[in-house]
Amino acid sequence: MTAIEANEVSKRYGTVVALDRVDLTVAEGEIFGFLGPNGAGKSTFINVLLDFVSPSDGSVEIFGHDCHAEGVAARKRIGVLPEGYSVFERRTGRQHLEYAIRSKEADDDPAEILDRVGLDPTDAEREASDYSKGMAQRLVLGMALVGEPDLLLLDEPTTGLDPNGAAEMRDIIREENERGATVFFSSHILEQVEAVCDRVGILQGGELVAVDTIEGLRESLGGGTKLVITVDHMANGTLASVREIQGVETAVEREESTLEVTCTNDAKMDILVELHDAGVDVVNFRTEEASLEDMFIEYTGTGR
Amino acid sequence: MSWDVIARQDWALTVGERSTKGLLGLLGFVIVVTAYVYPVSGPGPHTTGRFAGAVHGSLTTLVPIVGVLLGYNAVVSERESGALRLSLSLPHSRADVVFGKFLGRVGVVTATLVASLAVAGFLVVYPFGELEAFRYLAFVGFTVWFGGVWTGIGIATSIAAATKRRALVLALFVFFVFVMVWDTVDSGVTLALNFVGLVDGALPDPLQFYFGLEPGRVFGRLTDGFVDPSATVDGAWYLSEWVALVLFVLWLVGPLGLAYRRFARGDLS
Repeated sequence: MTAIEANEVSKRYGTVVALDRVDLTVAEGEIFGFLGPNGAGKSTFINVLLDFVSPSDGSVEIFGHDCHAEGVAARKRIGVLPEGYSVFERRTGRQHLEYAIRSKEADDDPAEILDRVGLDPTDAEREASDYSKGMAQRLVLGMALVGEPDLLLLDEPTTGLDPNGAAEMRDIIREENERGATVFFSSHILEQVEAVCDRVGILQGGELVAVDTIEGLRESLGGGTKLVITVDHMANGTLASVREIQGVETAVEREESTLEVTCTNDAKMDILVELHDAGVDVVNFRTEEASLEDMFIEYTGTGR
Repeated sequence: MSWDVIARQDWALTVGERSTKGLLGLLGFVIVVTAYVYPVSGPGPHTTGRFAGAVHGSLTTLVPIVGVLLGYNAVVSERESGALRLSLSLPHSRADVVFGKFLGRVGVVTATLVASLAVAGFLVVYPFGELEAFRYLAFVGFTVWFGGVWTGIGIATSIAAATKRRALVLALFVFFVFVMVWDTVDSGVTLALNFVGLVDGALPDPLQFYFGLEPGRVFGRLTDGFVDPSATVDGAWYLSEWVALVLFVLWLVGPLGLAYRRFARGDLS
């Protein structure tokens, strides 16, 4: 069974295209990272999932329920941390959770959830409108966890959280996934996606430009290996001759005697041989995988 | 069917608000004071039915302003702040939200009206008045319905407008047209037509029907026809209290229904 199925979803605001024929399938049980720079259309897509906006074309289903026509049924089995929300005025944190519990017809214990998301009991008795952004984020995550949802839909979940809070958020995402929940979350921060996701989709200008596993994305970059070589000395013209080698994309001298070369996997040996032939002794070398950040920049041409 | 959850939360929120307490307190106060003064203010017999005719005047001004002020921010303030996103992320439909909010707010108005009319009824009956139980119950029912109509109009502006300010302007506009200037326009038209000699005295029935569409007048015809024994309703069949009953239903369903259709179709962000 698929958790999310989007067919050719487009959303236009006048002449502006916010989503352009997005096709996406998220299988049950996976952690899917929805990645893209700000304004790429991530929130628009999630708004379509939640029926806050209706698509100009195409359709989206959650567990087989059309998000527009059967919105309530689609939202029965999901927990949501939306973007651009605010908490209710004059209601305590605990009352927020009780509202979510009644709305989902669940029987969770508010105290347990508060503990899980790291809100202490005294905070829970305060009005939520006095909370900091980070506390509000924890509270609404708590509301999302109510009723053991089969799908967690988190829009920029680490907004307003400190690094510690972000790590706790990742732990909760993993715990929920181990319980059996599918997780779909959007982010413009690469490390977070890299840390927990099985698969990622990269959205750029409303178009889904790539959907793959992180390894798959790396491979599609043609190896994408970075070679860091320490040598005893640099001879004149060495750098130039390394750049001549087939498969080498860039070669730069970092410090006194360190070379950084990005190249395809096959070119690694050729580089070492070339250095040897030039009479340069290799003291040390290591390879690094291209980071997701490099890929991200490659795909979107923007970075963050 | 999750409107009950929303209604319950909205009731709690509305009751807790200081401005709501002020508005509702004023409404209750006026009703009770009118009842207190009524037995000594005019010739008898003093009955609850005749009291209805006496209090009706202040109700047709007060209930509308309380209703629209209570209703106009019901949805739009949460929409502006983003709290509506939390509700609609849960398994609630937009209809659940609107209906829940409507029930929550109407519940608060109803409780106030029922309580103060109960006290008022007692003040009228004790010690020398007469209770016409059935008629008085009908009057309480019409008043509550009238409260529902105006709270509904307020909520209709709340879901039709995108900002709180626009909702308030729209709500007050409707209030002013129907409650403040309607009678003046009616008198003006009557005078003008009399002046040019097209009519003699009262307006022709179709025009009376048109001016009688205003909710307060519909409420008045119902009170005259069904409650107050000293008043009568006459004119063409479409001016009767039975047609007024139908109009009363339309006033509750119409504005909310039209505004909801717009709200259900539109994007939230």
